[in-house]
Amino acid sequence: MPSPMDIYKLLPKTNCKLCGEQTCMSFAFKLIRKEKKLEDCKPLFSPEFEEQRKKIEEMLKVVEKATETGLVVNEDLCIGCGNCVVVCPVHVYEDPEGAGSGFGVRLDNPILRVENGVVRVVDVGLCRRYKEKTICVACRENCPTSAIAFLEEL
Amino acid sequence: MWVCTGCSCLCDDVEIEGNNVKHACRIGAGIILNRSVARAEPLIEGRKTDMDSAIEKAVEILKDSKGVAIYGLNNSTLEAQRIAIKLAKKLSAYVDNGSKFEKLAEMILNKEIPSTTLENVKDYAYVIFYWGCDVHNSMPRHMSRYTYYPRGKKRQRGYEEDRFLVVVDVRRSHTAMLAKKNAVFIKTDDDRKLVREFVTALEGGIASGDVLRVVKELKKSDFNVIFGGEGLIKGLGNEFEEFVKLVNSVGYFIPADYRTNSMGFFKSIFEAGISKANFEDLLIDETIDTAIIVGDDPLNSMPFEIAKRLVKLKLIVIDPKVSFTSKIADVVIPSAISGVECGGKMLRSDFVEVELKPVFKSEWDDVEILKSILEGL
Ligand code: SF4
Ligand code: SF4
Ligand code: SF4
Repeated sequence: MPSPMDIYKLLPKTNCKLCGEQTCMSFAFKLIRKEKKLEDCKPLFSPEFEEQRKKIEEMLKVVEKATETGLVVNEDLCIGCGNCVVVCPVHVYEDPEGAGSGFGVRLDNPILRVENGVVRVVDVGLCRRYKEKTICVACRENCPTSAIAFLEEL
Repeated sequence: MWVCTGCSCLCDDVEIEGNNVKHACRIGAGIILNRSVARAEPLIEGRKTDMDSAIEKAVEILKDSKGVAIYGLNNSTLEAQRIAIKLAKKLSAYVDNGSKFEKLAEMILNKEIPSTTLENVKDYAYVIFYWGCDVHNSMPRHMSRYTYYPRGKKRQRGYEEDRFLVVVDVRRSHTAMLAKKNAVFIKTDDDRKLVREFVTALEGGIASGDVLRVVKELKKSDFNVIFGGEGLIKGLGNEFEEFVKLVNSVGYFIPADYRTNSMGFFKSIFEAGISKANFEDLLIDETIDTAIIVGDDPLNSMPFEIAKRLVKLKLIVIDPKVSFTSKIADVVIPSAISGVECGGKMLRSDFVEVELKPVFKSEWDDVEILKSILEGL
């Protein structure tokens, strides 16, 4: 997952304010949180910055994959242990005999499900962060390889 | 539902729909997804042959040998292990599965150390120790399926309130990183000293802060469990007297040996009245001139200084897949992947017998191959 600093380094760093932000750094922050689009930075699209722009686009691919709750899964780091699936309070409540008891999740549309050995976000609609806007970090907290991250914590 | 044979958890809740494997971890899903990758074929001295000729050649080699070892068998069913033992008896061969758990397994089977099932752990255990094992990597679903994370009958409030996790290791492993709230990670490079400290503290003596904290938690429940791995066995130098004392006051012990049917191997050899040899010692002492390797890859897993001695042996490899060892073997006999292409039974790490549910059928499996060799002799 790229950090705002990683992105900032590649921006024009002129604080031109054309994007509507006061500084390039704050633009970098908002890019990662998906509150701004890369296109908002006009100077970056001049030929002079082409190489840097391409690098940023590459970095933002991960961000693009982030769900509406800001939850991102890095499949390369996931071993499919199922900790996140089992601890998710929504799964425990909705599927006490399945995920809540340690088995593979039995809901048709769970938030997370381990498929082909890695966790997949199936339906974020049920996630507490989405529905109740509460700060739940149970899944991320129990992943020792940091395969799960939340955008706002980056 | 498929039973995964990727490790000794033998997870029985896996769903397979075409090319989609649900709920198995990366190791388990890989077995199905990479099933057709690197398959072995019958070979004699590196040249392609047919099954019958390969088996005939194996028999011929065994008839001429002066000392035989059978190594591996962790990925074989109980049925296959029992035939391998018959074969070993007939050949007066040594047997070894490469695991260091034999003493602990023997003590569990003789009821010299209290043990329990993973289902009981899920339903009742409060303090859960992981000692000298990084289960997050070696048995990925161990904690989510059976121990710390799932809710059980008497443990309905979840890991944050109803469990206490203790991880003991020489380094901060991935498993140790999970020791957060209601948990401790104790870093040690002296397991014997730590065992003694626990025993002393449980008897009311003096101990360090972390140990006292754990002891206080232990007293809250009469169902606590220690999962011990190879790190523990190594740390104890194979001396278990004090450790047994500790387990007796803690509650129960269950081996954390990731090898799929390792406990099946131990149960099978003890029932047959034979003891486990040490394959590495046999190689160092040049006790054997022939080895049958079943579903294992010692050339890859053993220290190179010892592994290079394999080249001097007559090697018969029985394996569904190509391995480093199969590449230097005199005879390669391709077999079925247990639990995927052939059925049978295996023992989980807690000695619970599990019936496998193969999804494909194969003509040759370990049982058929070992039987044919036995008959050939
Ligand atoms: S943030 Fe909470 S509710 Fe959302 S998926 Fe993770 S554990 Fe479940
Ligand atoms: S994301 Fe982390 S906790 Fe979830 S299955 Fe993957 S490795 Fe386990
Ligand atoms: S934990 Fe072991 S048995 Fe369970 S799915 Fe993973 S490899 Fe298979």
